[in-house]
Amino acid sequence: MYVIVVGGGKVGYYLSKHLLDRGYEVTLIEKDPRRAEVLNSVLGEIVMVGDGDEMAFLATTGMERADVVVAVTGDDEDNLVTCQLAKRKFNVAKTVARVNNPANVRIFKTLGVDVTLSATEVLLDLIESELAGKEPAGRSASQA
Amino acid sequence: MKIVIVGCGRVGAMVATALSRAGHRVTVIDSQRKAFDRLGTDFDGEMILGNGIDEDVLRRAGIETADGFASLTNGDNRNIMAAQIAREIFKVPRVITRIYDPIREDVFRELGLNTVSPTLSGARQIHAMLKG
Repeated sequence: MYVIVVGGGKVGYYLSKHLLDRGYEVTLIEKDPRRAEVLNSVLGEIVMVGDGDEMAFLATTGMERADVVVAVTGDDEDNLVTCQLAKRKFNVAKTVARVNNPANVRIFKTLGVDVTLSATEVLLDLIESELAGKEPAGRSASQA
Repeated sequence: MKIVIVGCGRVGAMVATALSRAGHRVTVIDSQRKAFDRLGTDFDGEMILGNGIDEDVLRRAGIETADGFASLTNGDNRNIMAAQIAREIFKVPRVITRIYDPIREDVFRELGLNTVSPTLSGARQIHAMLKG
């Protein structure tokens, strides 16, 4: 199973690390050469330096044989375009995107991304289910 | 016509000013207030400070009733995403997007976006002029 992770921030780093631990083949794509050097020294030469949405560069990553492409940069627009290129140009079966603005979950689905994850939304759901049945303090205060 | 433009750089400001001058109702979105200084003194439209790929900002700009939409920021991906939101979510009849990267332009034109690539047209023009 070959997974390409785009974006070498904290999420991309830990994700790649755990995927490697579980025996997956992983390539991590990071724009910033200095950050890539750090990642390479801790993860072991799996990092490629380049733009996750630059077609010419993506073609060198072996994306056409990737089973999953995961876009986890901090910019929703970059994650969207990476997933769309992976899907339409490289026929990747499964694309996963991190979204920062929870409203983009629906938009990404409409635009063809297979799985979208919003940390904000997950946290919101957790808080709401944790507080299920209890009156949200903020809301009752604002109603008063 | 009602027209929404995302990105008030040189091109965005010129297009917005020209359309406004021609009597259209124009709303320009930019994330920097200073960008609106580029609009002509006779610009008669609306200015919205915000992120052009944020649905709420687009709604505030009146995208739901827009006849035309153009994304003209300096980020290809931002333009592509904004254009797709305008087309697929809000069903704006006429959507134009600028994409500098010719390869990416190719992909998204195939996907049905109306694209303009200044890189390609600029290179072609310069090439033709050099040949004489």
